[in-house]
Amino acid sequence: MTLFIQQLFNGLALGGVYCLAAIGLTLVFGVLRIPNLAHGSLYMLGAYITYFFLTTIGVPYIAAIGMAAIILFVLGVGLERLVFHPLRNSPHTHHMIAAVGAMFFFQALAQAIWGADFRRMDTPITGELRVLGAEISAQRIVIIITAVIVLALLAWFIKRSIHGQTIEAIEQDRIGASLVGINPSMVSMLTLGLSALLATIAAGLVAPINLLSPTMGDALNLKVFAIIILGGLGSLPGAILGGFVLAIAETMTATYVSSAFGDTVAFIVLVAVLAIKPNGLFTKAVQR
Amino acid sequence: MHSVSRNRSRRLLAAAVVGAFALSLSACGGGGSGEGDTVVIGYTGPLSGGGAAYGENVQIGLEMAIDDLNSDGVEVDGKPVTLELKALDDKYAPATAASNAQRLADQDKAPVVVSPNAGAIKAIQQINSGRSNFLISAYTSDPAIVQSDNPLTMMIPPNFESYADEFTETAMEHGGKKLTLLGTQSEYGQQWTESITESWSAAGGEIGKDNSIDYATVSDFAGPVSKALAEKPDAIFVGGPSQPTALIMEEARKQGFKGSFLVMDQAKLDEMATVTKLDNLKNSVGVLPVAEYEDPGTEDFLKKFADKAGDKKVATSETALNYQGIAIIAKAMEVSGSTDDPEKIREAITDALPEVDDRYKVNGFPEEITDEGHLVNPNLEATFLDDDGKYTKIPIEQVSDNK
Repeated sequence: MTLFIQQLFNGLALGGVYCLAAIGLTLVFGVLRIPNLAHGSLYMLGAYITYFFLTTIGVPYIAAIGMAAIILFVLGVGLERLVFHPLRNSPHTHHMIAAVGAMFFFQALAQAIWGADFRRMDTPITGELRVLGAEISAQRIVIIITAVIVLALLAWFIKRSIHGQTIEAIEQDRIGASLVGINPSMVSMLTLGLSALLATIAAGLVAPINLLSPTMGDALNLKVFAIIILGGLGSLPGAILGGFVLAIAETMTATYVSSAFGDTVAFIVLVAVLAIKPNGLFTKAVQR
Repeated sequence: MHSVSRNRSRRLLAAAVVGAFALSLSACGGGGSGEGDTVVIGYTGPLSGGGAAYGENVQIGLEMAIDDLNSDGVEVDGKPVTLELKALDDKYAPATAASNAQRLADQDKAPVVVSPNAGAIKAIQQINSGRSNFLISAYTSDPAIVQSDNPLTMMIPPNFESYADEFTETAMEHGGKKLTLLGTQSEYGQQWTESITESWSAAGGEIGKDNSIDYATVSDFAGPVSKALAEKPDAIFVGGPSQPTALIMEEARKQGFKGSFLVMDQAKLDEMATVTKLDNLKNSVGVLPVAEYEDPGTEDFLKKFADKAGDKKVATSETALNYQGIAIIAKAMEVSGSTDDPEKIREAITDALPEVDDRYKVNGFPEEITDEGHLVNPNLEATFLDDDGKYTKIPIEQVSDNK
C-alpha cells in the first residue's frame, strides 16, 4: 500500500508536467492546425534558461522560472513570425519540416552555449513529506500544486479574458472569427508564445528532479503527442486528462507489470484509444 | 521581364555554386598532397545528440595526445611528421560511422580511425580491410569486436566481463546476498546486466526482478527506484551515463537504501560526485577514477586536462585511454617507419608499447597486445568507495576475450 501511495504521487507529479507541456501543444494545434514538432526543444530551452537565471545569475527559483517563461514567450512569438507565419499558405508538410529544422537548430544552439554535458539544477526546495507512510519529496508536491494553479489560471484566461476567448474563437472557426474582427495573426503569435511559456513552467518544475541536456526534450516530445492524440487534438480538457492518465498508467505499469513496459504503455493506450475512438477522448478539433 | 531576370539570377546562382564547389575541391587537393608530412588521424563519434558529451570526452583525449605528440616531435623514417585530427559526427549511428570512416580513409588518407562505440566499430570492421585499409582504434569494452578476427582493430579498454566477479564479491561483502537490477536499457547496459546476473547467481546470491529502465527517457527516477526498493535488496546494480546514475543512487539513498551499489563502468564515481553529494555514492564498487591512478604521467595529464576543459570537468577514462591510444599509435608509426601502411603499424604495436614515453602513461598503461588486437594492462584495478569516502583499489583478474 505504501508503494502504491508513493507511486500515485510520483504519477501525479509526472502528470502535472505532462499536462503543462501537452496543453501548449494542443493549443497550437487548435489554432495553427500544425503539429509543432519543435515543442520538446522549446521545453528544453525553457529548462536551460531557467537554469541560467537560477544558477548563473542567482535569481530565486520561482522568479527564475517566471523570467525564463517570459523569454520563451517572446521566442515562441518569434518562432511563429519567422517560421510558421511565412508558411501559412503552404502545404502542411512544409510546417512539419520547418518545425523539425527549428528543433535541430535549438538543440545545436543549446549545445553551443551550454555544452553537451548533463547539468544539474538545484533548488532551494528540499525535504520530504510523509503521506500515509510514503516519502514524497517537497519538489514533487510543488510540481503538483503549481500545475493545478497554472491550469486554473489558464482555464480562466481562455474562458473569461478577451484575449483568451479569441484563441477559442479562432479554434472553433477561423474565418468566422476574422469576420467579427479577430486578427488570426495576433492569435497565432499569442498561442505559440503561450505554449512555449507553459512548456517552460513544466521544464522549470521538472528540471530539479532530472538533468538538463540538449536532447532532454526528445522523450517528452513523443509522449506529449501521444497525450494530445489521446485526449483529442486541440482539446484542453483532453490534454489535462490525457496527461494525468498517461503518467499514472506509465508509473503503475512500471511498478506492477514490468519496468521495461512503462514507457511503452503510452503507445499501447494510444493505439487502443485510436482503435475504439479515433478522434480521441474529447472530440473537438475539426479535422481538415 | 520578370522571367528574364529570374533566369539570369538562376544562372548566376548556378555559376556561383559550381564555382564554390570547384574552389573547395581545389582547396582539398592542395591541403592533402602539398605538404606530405601531415598524417590525419580520423575520428568518428557522436558529437551532437544524446551521446555528444561522451563523444566530446573522447575527442578531448585525442586532441590532447596530438598536441603533446606534435610538440614532442614525431619522426617517421627520418622525416618529421605532424599529426592532425579530423573529427566527424556520426550521432551514434553505425551506418553513418562507417561512411565517415570510409571518407576519412579515402579522402583524408587517414591510416587510423578512432571510434568509441561497439555498434559503429562492428560496422567499420566490414570495410577496413579490403578495398580500403585502415586501423580502427576501438574504444569499447565489448569483446565481440576482437572475436571477429579483424586484422586491423586495436581494442583499447579492458573487457567489461572481467569486472563482474570482483564486483559481485565486493558488493556481497559490504551489502548482502540479495541483488536488484536497475541498470540502463541500452544494449551495453543489458550486456552488463547479464554478466552481473551470471556472476551473482554463481556466487549463490539471490536476484529480484529485472528493473532496468531507459536512463535517457525516464523523466522521474523516483518511481523506478521505489519499485526496486520494494524488493528490499541488499545491493543494487546501477549504471548508464554518470549523471543519471548519480541521480538514481541519490534517490535510492533518499528513500532509505543502506546497502551497496555495483556501478557499471560507463559511470565514473568521481564524475558522479559533480552532480550529487559524495555521501550518496558511498559503499559502491566501480571502476577506478583516473585521478586515483599513480602512473608516471597521470598528474601532468590531469593538469593539462584542467587547462583545456576547465576545473569543473572531471577527466574520465574515455579521455585518458584515448590519449594513451594515440600515443601508442604514433610510437607504432615510428617503429614501423610507415605512416600509411596500417598493417605495418598494427604489427609494430607490440614493439612500440615498451618504447612509449612515460608521460603518456596515465590510466593503467597496457604492456602487451593480444593476437586479436586487444591492449592488455595486466594490473587492472577497480575500486570500492567506502563509508569514509576513500577509494580502495581492488585487483581485477581479467577474463579471456574468447567466447
